[in-house]
Amino acid sequence: MSKQEEKNPQHRYSWLTSIRLTIISFGYAYRANILSLFMGILFGYLMSHAGATTFDYHAEMFLLTDLQLMKVIGTAVVVAMIGVSLLKKFHINSITTGTEVDFVKKPYQQGLIAGAFLFGIGWAMTASCPGTVPAMLGEGKISALFTLIGLLLGTMAYGVLQTFIASQGRYGDVLKD
Amino acid sequence: MEIQVWSGWLAGLAIGLFVVLHFWLIGKPAGCSTGYGNVCGLLCRRVRYYHEGEYSNKNNIKLWFLIGIPIGGFLSAMHSPDAWHISFDMGMYDEILPQSAAAKAIWLIFGGMLLGFGARLAGACTTGHALVGGAMLNPPSLLAGLVFFASAFFATRLLFGT
Repeated sequence: MSKQEEKNPQHRYSWLTSIRLTIISFGYAYRANILSLFMGILFGYLMSHAGATTFDYHAEMFLLTDLQLMKVIGTAVVVAMIGVSLLKKFHINSITTGTEVDFVKKPYQQGLIAGAFLFGIGWAMTASCPGTVPAMLGEGKISALFTLIGLLLGTMAYGVLQTFIASQGRYGDVLKD
Repeated sequence: MEIQVWSGWLAGLAIGLFVVLHFWLIGKPAGCSTGYGNVCGLLCRRVRYYHEGEYSNKNNIKLWFLIGIPIGGFLSAMHSPDAWHISFDMGMYDEILPQSAAAKAIWLIFGGMLLGFGARLAGACTTGHALVGGAMLNPPSLLAGLVFFASAFFATRLLFGT
C-alpha cells in the first residue's frame, strides 16, 4: 500500500488510475460536445481549403469571374443530398444519440425573406458568413475580428428584440433577469 | 497569406461528405449561427431570449462546434506555403472599402451586424439554410438560400460598380 492510500483509505485507486477514470468519465459525459468540437475543426479546415475564407473568391463568385465557391457549394449540396437520402433509406442510427438521425427541418418563420435579404447584403459587405468568420480569425485575418464583433452585436440585437416582443413590448422588461 | 485552395469539385465533395458525417455522428443538422446565440447568452446574462428554449443549455454542441472552427482555420493556415502570420490584406475589397483603417473597421462591424441579425431573422446562415437545408430539400431553406444568393449578388455588383 502506498502512502497516499494509507492516508485516504476510501480512495483505493492509484492517482494514475484516478486521472484515467476522470478522463474517461469526462469524455463519456461530454462525448457529443467533443465530437462536435472535432466536427468544428474539420469544418473550419475544409472551409479554409475550399477558399471560403478568402475575400476574393466571394467577390469573384458574384462578379461571375471565378466560380470556385459556386462549384464548392453546388457539389457539396448534391453530395450531401445523396448522402442524406441514403441515411434516410437505410434508417441509420446516429453515433451519439443511438437513435435514428433527426432530420429536423428549419421551419418557415416570419421575416425569413427580410432576414435573408439583410444577410445577403452583409455577405457582400464583409465577404464572409457566420461559419467562415471564426476560420478567418484562426488564419490570422484581423479584419474578421471586426466582423465577429458585428455578428455578436447583430445576434444580440435580435435577442433584445425578441425579448421585447415576448414581454408585450414593455421596454423595462427587456433586461430583467 | 496564401492558403492552398483545393479544386472546387474536390472541396465540394469533401464538404458534402462532411455534412453527411455530421448527420451520422451527431444526429442533428450542422449549423453555425445558432452558436452565436449561445455566446451572446454567455456574454450578457440579462437578455432573456438567450436563456430560454433552445438556449436554456448553452454549453451544448453548437457552442463547441463554433469553438472548433478557428482551430480548423489555424491548422489549415499552418501548412500553407508561408508560415502563419497576422494578415491585414483584404484582396479585392481593399480597393472598394473606405481607405482609413477606422472606417474599414466600422464598415466590417456594420456588415457583421447585418449578417448576425439577418441570420437570426432568417433562422440560419448559409451553412444551415443553403448547405444543410438544401441537402434536405426543405422548401423554406431553399427559399432563404435563393434570397441569400440573390441579394448578395446584387449588393456585390453595386459595390464593385459593374
